[in-house]
Amino acid sequence: MTSAHVQPYAELCVTSNFTFLTGASHPEELITRAAELGLAAIAITDRNSVAGVVRAWSALKELARLRDEAQATAEAAQDGPAIRSQRVTDHSSRQTVPHFTGATSALAQNDAPLPKLIAGARLVLTDSAVEWLALPTDLAAWSRLTRLLSLGKRRAPKGECHLQRADLAEWGQGLILIAMPPDPLEDAHPKTARSDLLSVARTFPGQCFLGAAPRYDGRDQARLDQLAVLAQGVNLPMVAVGDVLMHRAARRPLADVLTCLRLGCSIDSIGERRLANGERRLKSGAEMARLFHRHPAALRRTVEIADRCAFRLNDLRYQYPDEAQDGEPAQDRLERLARAGLHWRYPAGPPPKIVHRVEKELTLIREVDYAPYFLTVHDIVQFARAKGILCQGRGSAANSVVCYLLGITEVPPESITLIFERFISKERGEPPDIDVDFEHERREEVIQWIYDRYGRERAGLTATVIHFRSRAAIREVGKVMGLSQDVIARLSGQIWGWSSAAPGEDRLRDAGLSIEDRRVQLAVQLIGEIIGFPRHLSQHVGGFVITRGRLDELCPIENAAMEDRTIIEWDKDDIDALGLLKVDILALGMLTAIRKAFTLLADHRGQQLTLANVPPEDPPVYDMLCRADAIGVFQVESRAQLNFLPRMRPRKFYDLVCEVAIVRPGPIQGGMVHPFINRRMGREPVEDLGPALMEVLARTYGVPLFQEQAMQIAVVAAGFTPSEADRLRRSLATFKRMGTIGSFRDRFVSGMLSRGYDADFAARCFAQIEGFGSYGFPESHAASFARLVYISAWLKCHHQAVFTCALLNSQPMGFYAPAQLVRDARDHGVEVRGVSVNHSVWDCTLEPRPDGGLALRLGFRQIKGLREEDAGWIAAARGNGYPDVESLWRRAGVHPDTLERLAEADAFAAIGLTRRDALWAAKALKAPAPLPLFGPDGEGGVEPTVSLPQMTLGQEVIEDYLSLRLSLRAHPMELLRPHLPESLPHDRLGSAKGRVTITGLVITRQRPGTAAGVIFLTLEDETGTANVIVWKQVYEAFRKAVIAGRLVRVTGRVQRDGPTTHVIAERVEDVSHLLATLGRPVMIDANDGRADETKRPAGGSIRSNAHHPREQAKKLFPSRDFH
Amino acid sequence: MALADARAICPDLATRPADLAREAAALAGLRRWAGRYAPMVATDGVDGLMADISGVPHLFGGESDLRDDLQARLERAGLHASSAIAGTRGAAHALARHGGGIVADGQLAEGIGHLPVTALRVDHDTAEALARVGLARIADLIPLPRAPLARRFGAGLVLRLDQALGAQAEPVAAEPDAPHFGVRMTLPEPIGLQSDVMAGLERLLERLCAKLAQHRMGARRVRLELRRVDRGTAQVEIGLARPMRDPVRIAALFAKGVDEIDSGFGIDGLRLSAPVTEALAPEQIGGQIGGSATIRHEDALADLLSSVGNRIGFDRVLRLLPATSLIPERSFLLAAAAYSAPEPIPHRAGSKRPITLFPPEPVTAASGTPPASFRWRRMRFTTLRATGPERITPEWWFDDPAWRSGLRDYWQIETQEGPRLWLFVTPQATGAQDWFVQGEFA
Repeated sequence: MTSAHVQPYAELCVTSNFTFLTGASHPEELITRAAELGLAAIAITDRNSVAGVVRAWSALKELARLRDEAQATAEAAQDGPAIRSQRVTDHSSRQTVPHFTGATSALAQNDAPLPKLIAGARLVLTDSAVEWLALPTDLAAWSRLTRLLSLGKRRAPKGECHLQRADLAEWGQGLILIAMPPDPLEDAHPKTARSDLLSVARTFPGQCFLGAAPRYDGRDQARLDQLAVLAQGVNLPMVAVGDVLMHRAARRPLADVLTCLRLGCSIDSIGERRLANGERRLKSGAEMARLFHRHPAALRRTVEIADRCAFRLNDLRYQYPDEAQDGEPAQDRLERLARAGLHWRYPAGPPPKIVHRVEKELTLIREVDYAPYFLTVHDIVQFARAKGILCQGRGSAANSVVCYLLGITEVPPESITLIFERFISKERGEPPDIDVDFEHERREEVIQWIYDRYGRERAGLTATVIHFRSRAAIREVGKVMGLSQDVIARLSGQIWGWSSAAPGEDRLRDAGLSIEDRRVQLAVQLIGEIIGFPRHLSQHVGGFVITRGRLDELCPIENAAMEDRTIIEWDKDDIDALGLLKVDILALGMLTAIRKAFTLLADHRGQQLTLANVPPEDPPVYDMLCRADAIGVFQVESRAQLNFLPRMRPRKFYDLVCEVAIVRPGPIQGGMVHPFINRRMGREPVEDLGPALMEVLARTYGVPLFQEQAMQIAVVAAGFTPSEADRLRRSLATFKRMGTIGSFRDRFVSGMLSRGYDADFAARCFAQIEGFGSYGFPESHAASFARLVYISAWLKCHHQAVFTCALLNSQPMGFYAPAQLVRDARDHGVEVRGVSVNHSVWDCTLEPRPDGGLALRLGFRQIKGLREEDAGWIAAARGNGYPDVESLWRRAGVHPDTLERLAEADAFAAIGLTRRDALWAAKALKAPAPLPLFGPDGEGGVEPTVSLPQMTLGQEVIEDYLSLRLSLRAHPMELLRPHLPESLPHDRLGSAKGRVTITGLVITRQRPGTAAGVIFLTLEDETGTANVIVWKQVYEAFRKAVIAGRLVRVTGRVQRDGPTTHVIAERVEDVSHLLATLGRPVMIDANDGRADETKRPAGGSIRSNAHHPREQAKKLFPSRDFH
Repeated sequence: MALADARAICPDLATRPADLAREAAALAGLRRWAGRYAPMVATDGVDGLMADISGVPHLFGGESDLRDDLQARLERAGLHASSAIAGTRGAAHALARHGGGIVADGQLAEGIGHLPVTALRVDHDTAEALARVGLARIADLIPLPRAPLARRFGAGLVLRLDQALGAQAEPVAAEPDAPHFGVRMTLPEPIGLQSDVMAGLERLLERLCAKLAQHRMGARRVRLELRRVDRGTAQVEIGLARPMRDPVRIAALFAKGVDEIDSGFGIDGLRLSAPVTEALAPEQIGGQIGGSATIRHEDALADLLSSVGNRIGFDRVLRLLPATSLIPERSFLLAAAAYSAPEPIPHRAGSKRPITLFPPEPVTAASGTPPASFRWRRMRFTTLRATGPERITPEWWFDDPAWRSGLRDYWQIETQEGPRLWLFVTPQATGAQDWFVQGEFA
């Protein structure tokens, strides 16, 4: 900027995209742009919300850091702060990767100081046309603002806020209030606006201003003059505001699309509701001065107001509940409980190392004053234990002996290396993070207990910002841009689950769209732009924020969609950025399954097991895992793990810890898997790294697997302090993105050289740390999970029927669908009995067999569409069993629809009725209730019997899948085998060589983030499963078959890797249509001999002929897809 | 199959939107033609015809010859059809849609037994429910006792089954023909005078309008054909701005056309028809017929539009309709007045718009922003007062050639010379010519 005189200006009215479907720029973009323009300050004022302010604040912090760094290194080009909404977490690898849109433009350097951020809100009242910008001047005012917003939100349904003038009068003290009156040139009721202004101005003298925003519609001078007159009249000084919607005018199309989404219209019918121009963007002081050249004071006042707003988000002093009980201070109570834990955990007396360690931890906890936090988690865990809810701490908390002594974690501290700094660090000044897993079905009890204990004004769930992802973006933008419904459905149907990329050219062609079409181009561009925009707030899975004072003085609280839940407006990252403590109450399906398995064991075998007393180190369990026989076992049932198990050959608990940790993106990318395996199998010697390092790495054959080990290398070998090492670990990802990792490398390598290590070895160590990023497991976390691996494997090994029953009753969870679990159980010799109205209850149950074994009886829960309540009635009214369909209807009082569902599931087989006979009987009851007079009891006599055609095996299997999603009769492939002579059964793959063709139902699809673009398919046929690897080029060529096929035929080469066999796909065909022929392929012969008549399958091949066969197959044989 | 699916399979697929009205018209035409085979022909759904050929086949040499004749003729006409002859309407319907053929007398059950139950004209849900219990073919249904069947699937299924098997009668009823609006008059002696033609026209109009009134229709076009004694014809056709059946006002519109007719040696026949008609509810007619007591405003306007439209063409008589757009030239619509209803222009917020709007005309010798003086239409103007700018950006989703020069800043300019003009400048344009006049204020 060349002008010597820079006009100071503070923008006080900015709507970010956290005013959902209105604002068209991310807070980060606004802050960056404000810095570019050299504004003195920028206020983020979203409509009745402060949801975006923390992001803006973080962005500003990042900008300041970048600027400092740039000044330090004199590097010119720098990225702007990354937009958090535009970054997605890849679910399989937990890596955070930017969207393709995530390119932030390089920040133009100017020397002006960074703008000041004012966190505020725009109050929209229900009983006044005047809107008010509320900017808190100090912490007390901020608290009043958040309480005001909480008040409005708590009395409105989710997502709304109902505030009135009276509320503003009650809570407005200390807030700068800038009135945004209706346009004086258009206002039909100027008197009401004027009186509203006057009443508020009288309540808060000296705090109120009148905002004047130019519109660029040709009447700005007249408008500003009139506003100036109004300002004089009501004695509110006039302030210039921009009423900003976007950071640059280029966002105007997106703003129009958002308007369409908000109003539910299409772009062609938006009419005059679009933005006439792009002037609602951030403007520089000079430009504002030009617009307000007749009112310079209005411009000057913006800076004065910005100076008066002394509140900063750093001021939010967070007060954790003191957790003192019965007059006992928290620290004393924690120490007492920890010492009690020593006796409880170590009945024979604790080893001196542990006692020493406890004292060290307690000292540190006292210094940083985190005792209450430990006590909170302790109390929650105590409550869950008292209710019989299984729970277990995970994550870095297992690094703490105190957590172990308090019963929060279960991993004995002597079995792993403990690094307390990983958990709490004095220097880091960041709160510790204790995550506790609970049974997923009973977590709600824990959540409600927390609400009860702390009260709704002191405890709240953190929010999760729901962003536009590919599917939603395509659907909504496509609708606005006038693409037809079927095109939209096709486009979004090709998206892999959580993808967040706009559809590419080939995708468009697949959907039958022309790429040259301007409309389509615009739509694609807008889809790309809108991805990552926040759409609404939802609740976080279980992150609780608890305060000593009122939580609503910290942040607004609103109602969640779920009943009885309240959430705050900020998400997990916002909480982290502000340094607030949070307790994660997570749900884990496996805990539910284990608890159910324990209950079943107690009932049927009289064995009283808990998480703690499962027989440890049982060789048969490890034998089973070595065979990769692990379907249903926690964590190790995935494809990668199943492949890895036979090579790893776990023989003891610590092997499981390694197993859990090694199949992770960090170790895989760091190239640690092969050295580890080779050294473990003795194919490669473990190199001696010197005593200091060997202490760290000996247990993992000199290969760092865990986050702690990476840190320890830095400490032990390169001379970092523990907290420095932790910072290195946490910021590795950032450093890599910024390209500034070099200085760390130098320091690391030189540190190692000076300690006498080999230069080559130092470089390798650093490469490993680099590969690690933050995507490895800490050892403590791996150990927590490994315990569940062992317990679930033990259950599977010794009590397969119990285990499968518990898994089925805990669905949905895990990697495999009920069909695969049942099949696995049958392969292990468990008798599985079908659903029966005379034997089943809602859950799957175990029935004793004459030989003393247990048979698994499927429960009503397997029947699609059956309600639990009906199942309860059926079981309750059963007595000595139902003789026929009608008696069930009369005694259990269920709706005839339920009877049909039962009949379709073949649940009447036990009383000698075939599926069709039962359905026939059920259908009779569906008609308007027959009067008893005409029924069998009255004069109607007996209904003539009919004999219905028998079903073929194929039909029975199809019906089984339709109703139960599994069949006990036959595998569909068994019936199709004659049609597929070229396909090799999966059990013969082991001896096959060269190229083979296999066919099977797709049971899982995986696309791990670590393996670039490679897709793993698991196919199932009647003989077993086959693993298929689809490389990227093959995937591109056969995309549709790979993504959408249910029954696929794969041709490819066999590859053997130790005991596991893969097929490397060369050709993938979707043969799902064959499934449709299983049903009823009745072809009609044209009887007049005309050859050109179309032959149509009659009667609908499977249930309905209105759908494409592939659609049917999709419903019939669902696969589990992971991305 | 959805269109997008089909397109994805075959990218070069040629597609046409379905024209249901024309299809129905074609079927109606075919129905009239099919009258050659039977006195009673009815349409059967949207894709079929049903003829009662009782007593007819021997004229063609038997049922199979009749069917062959029908198929051959249709094929020659380029139509692919499937046909069936059966003893009942239901059976014929079922067979025609599943291959076609002839069911011999008394063998209905055998003839259609192999067909799927959907052929019985039952709804999708019933057919699906039947399939669920394994009853896929009609033959599966026939032996079953009727009572349990009706109890489970409703009386409709049994009725359809009985109709197909002849246990229930189902006659074929021909549909009524559409009314024809045309009247004629043959004269014993040729006439030649304009007043005579007009007198004849009035008598014809009386009859035509009575017929229109009977069917609650109004004419949009009326055609008068005159047959001269030398077998030559003359024709006068008028359009009407709104559906009408008032003989007096229609006659008045004919006056000019009739005036221009060359009657030659005389006219001995008149034919009056209304080729285009629209529904018109009975309405109260103002005043007495023939009297000039009250003519309602809209009638008067319609008469004006009719007479102007008949002279210069109805597509040239336009009216303004409101449109919602911020682009000035798209903030209204021009529509043919005779074929659109007037709509009030809603109140528009924002700054004033000029009273006349024309395509942008370049301005020369403009100096400054806003220009202090400029030349337009070879006149020199000096700016007295300028208000603005009003910034309007193009509608980004709509590629308008006129707006390719980017956003416009509009100014209201009061000139010393008098005219108040609406000027704009295109700051994003690359050319030298920047300023344009687009309108003039009152």
